[in-house]
Amino acid sequence: MAGKYELNRRRLLQATAAGGAVLAAPFIRPAQAQDPIKIGAQGVSSGSHADYGRQIQMGARFAAEEINTKGGIMGRKIEILYRDDELNNEVALKNARYFKAQGVNFMVGTDSSGICLALGPVLPELDLIQVFTHAATEKLTEDLVFKKGIKHIFRGSVPVYQDAILPALVFKDNKDIKRIANLGADYEYGRTSWAMFHTTLKEYRPDVEIVGETWAPFFTADFTPHLSALAARKPDLIFATPWAGEAVLMLRQATTLGVFNDIKAWWQCMGGSVDVMEGISRDVATGKFKDKLWATARYIWNWPDTAENKAFVGAFSERWGRLPNYSAECTYSAIFALKAAVEKAGSVRTADVIKALEGLELSTPAGKRVYRPEDHQAIYNVPAGRVTYNKEVAPIAHLTDLKVFPAADYYRKPPFA
Amino acid sequence: MSFDALVYQGLIGVSLAMYLWLLAAGLTIAFGVLGVVNFAHGSLYMLGGYFAFTFYLTLQMNFWLSLVFAALGGAAIGSIMERFFLRYIYHLDLAYQILLTFGFVLVFADAARIFWGGIPLIPPMPEIFDSTVPIVGRPFPVYNLFVIFFGIAASVLLWLLLDKTSWGETVRASASDREMAGALGVNIPRLFTVVFSFAAMLAALSGALGTPVRAMTPGIGTSVIIDVFIVTVIGGLGNLPGAFVAALIIGLMKAYGVLLFPDADLFMSYLIMALVLLFRPKGLLGGR
Repeated sequence: MAGKYELNRRRLLQATAAGGAVLAAPFIRPAQAQDPIKIGAQGVSSGSHADYGRQIQMGARFAAEEINTKGGIMGRKIEILYRDDELNNEVALKNARYFKAQGVNFMVGTDSSGICLALGPVLPELDLIQVFTHAATEKLTEDLVFKKGIKHIFRGSVPVYQDAILPALVFKDNKDIKRIANLGADYEYGRTSWAMFHTTLKEYRPDVEIVGETWAPFFTADFTPHLSALAARKPDLIFATPWAGEAVLMLRQATTLGVFNDIKAWWQCMGGSVDVMEGISRDVATGKFKDKLWATARYIWNWPDTAENKAFVGAFSERWGRLPNYSAECTYSAIFALKAAVEKAGSVRTADVIKALEGLELSTPAGKRVYRPEDHQAIYNVPAGRVTYNKEVAPIAHLTDLKVFPAADYYRKPPFA
Repeated sequence: MSFDALVYQGLIGVSLAMYLWLLAAGLTIAFGVLGVVNFAHGSLYMLGGYFAFTFYLTLQMNFWLSLVFAALGGAAIGSIMERFFLRYIYHLDLAYQILLTFGFVLVFADAARIFWGGIPLIPPMPEIFDSTVPIVGRPFPVYNLFVIFFGIAASVLLWLLLDKTSWGETVRASASDREMAGALGVNIPRLFTVVFSFAAMLAALSGALGTPVRAMTPGIGTSVIIDVFIVTVIGGLGNLPGAFVAALIIGLMKAYGVLLFPDADLFMSYLIMALVLLFRPKGLLGGR
C-alpha cells in the first residue's frame, strides 16, 4: 500500500509541476535554455594510439567541468559525449551520425588526417560545426575550407606547417646537414609532411640531398628494416612521422641499431607528445639519443611561460594525474572557443556560430589563438625543441633549447597557390 | 645497393623472421593437431609481452626468468581457452571457432587496457644486450643476434621434441588420424589441452622476446596476426618446416622490400601469398 501511495504522491507532484510549468511557460524565456549544450568528441581509443583518444576526452571533460562550475554557456551546462573512431573512416562517420541523432550542437576531436578528410565534407549535410583538435593535414583547411568553401570545418590545433615547415627553419642554418632521409607514416599525414619539409628545406638549401625514403603503415610492430635501410644511406638527418606508441618503439629500435651514432639530428614529428615523452624518458635519461633528438607537438606543456598556462597545467595534472598532451589542450581550448563564439553570437545556430568563430581571438593555455577567417585555421605559436630529461623540471622527458618562430610568418597563406 | 648493405639487411630480415617463426609454429601446430584456426594467437603474443614486462620491470625479476614465466603464463591462458571454451565447439562449423577466438581477441585487448593501460610499455634493454657488434662495418644490435640464436635453438628443440620423443610421436599420430590414435589409447581431450597450451606458450614466448624492442600495446595482437597468417598459409597450414621457410621468406622480404622497393614493400607479402595459393594451395612444402 505504501508503494502505491508513494506512486500516487509522486504522480501528483509531477502533475502539479507540469501544470505549473505550462502556466509559467509564457513567462520563463525560453524553457529550453536549461537544456545542456551537447558536444560530441571523438578520437582514437584503440591500439598503439589509444592515449590520444583519452587525452581528447580528458581535455573536453576538463573544459566542460570548468565552464559548468562557472555557470555554463549562457546559463546552459555543457555535456560531453565521446566515441572511439578506431582510426577508421567508416566508424568516424557513423559516430558523427550518432552524435547528430543524439542532438549534439558541436563536435570536436579527430586524430587522424585521413579521417578528417572523410568527416569534413559531410559536416554541412549534418549541419554541425566540428573544431578539429589534432588531425593536421593542410588539405583540411586549404582545400576543404578555402577552396571548396566548407565553412563548418575549423581547426584549433596546428596544421602540418608546424611539423614540416618549422623543422626546415630550425635546420636550414645547420651546414652539417646535407643528406636527409624519411621514415614516414604511410598515409596522408606522413606523405604530406615529408613533401612539405623537403621542398621547404630545399628552398633555403639547394645543396641538401634526399638519400632515402621508407614508409611504414599504421600498426607496424618493427621498424628495424626501415631504420637499417635508411642507415645504409648514411643520412645526416632523419625525418620521422610515425607517432604515439609507434614513435616510442621506433626510437628504441633506432637506439639498438646505433642510428644515433652517425646521424647529426633526428626530427620527430609530434615527438613532444606526452605519451611519447613518457615512453622514451628512460632512454633520454641514459643519453641514448646523444642530444640529437628534436621534436615538436601541437602544444607543449612547458611553454609558454604564462600564468594562464601554468594554472592550466597544474589544475589538469591534479584532475587527471597526467600532464596535458596537446590533444588535451587543443580540445580544451576548442571548447572555450565554442563558448566564446556562442556568447558572441548569442545563439547556438550553426550559421551564427560559424560567423562568430571566424576571426575569433582567444587567450588559451597555448597562448593567443586567432581563427583565421579565410581558412578557419587557428594561428598560434608552438616551439620546437631538443628532447632532454631533468627530473628537477618534470618527471618525464621534455623539450629544451626551444625555437619559437611566429606561426603567422611561416604558415602558408591563402590563396594557397 | 652495395653487397654490405644487402648482408646487413638480410640479418635484420632473419631476426624479424624469428618472431614470426615462433608465432607461426604455435599457430600451425594448433591447427595441425586440433584443427583450430586461432585468431587470438596474436593476442597471446601480446599477453606474453605484457607478462614479461610485468615480471621484468614491475617485479624486477631476472630477464631470463621473466621470459620463462611469461611463456608459462601464456601456456596457462592457452589451457584455459582450450579446456573451458574451444572444447565445446569442435563439432560445430569452423565459423564458430573463428567467432570464438575473435571474441578472445577483443576480450584480451580490453583486459590489457584495463590491467596495463593504453600507453605503450617498453622496459629498458637488459644490460647484457645493450650494445652493438660491427657487421660489414656497421653497428648491429646484439639483441637481434640473440633473437636469431633463440629462434634457431627453439627450432632444434621443437624438432627434437616432435620427432624424437614418444610424446612427439603421439602428437603426430593424433594429427594424422585423431580417431585411430584415440582408439589406440591416446587420451585425446587431454592431449588437445596440452598441445593448445604449448602453442599458446610459443606465442607468448615470441611476445616476451619482443618486449625490450617492440613496445607492448593493447592493439599489438591484431597487428602481428596478419603476418602470421600469411606465413602459415605460405608454409602450408599445419606444416611446421613449411612455417619456418615461410617465416624466413616473409622476414627477408620485409627487410629487402623496404630497402629495394620502398613503395611496394607492403604489397609483396600478399603477392607471394596469392601466388602460393594459386600454384601450391597446400603451401610451399605441402605437396600438391
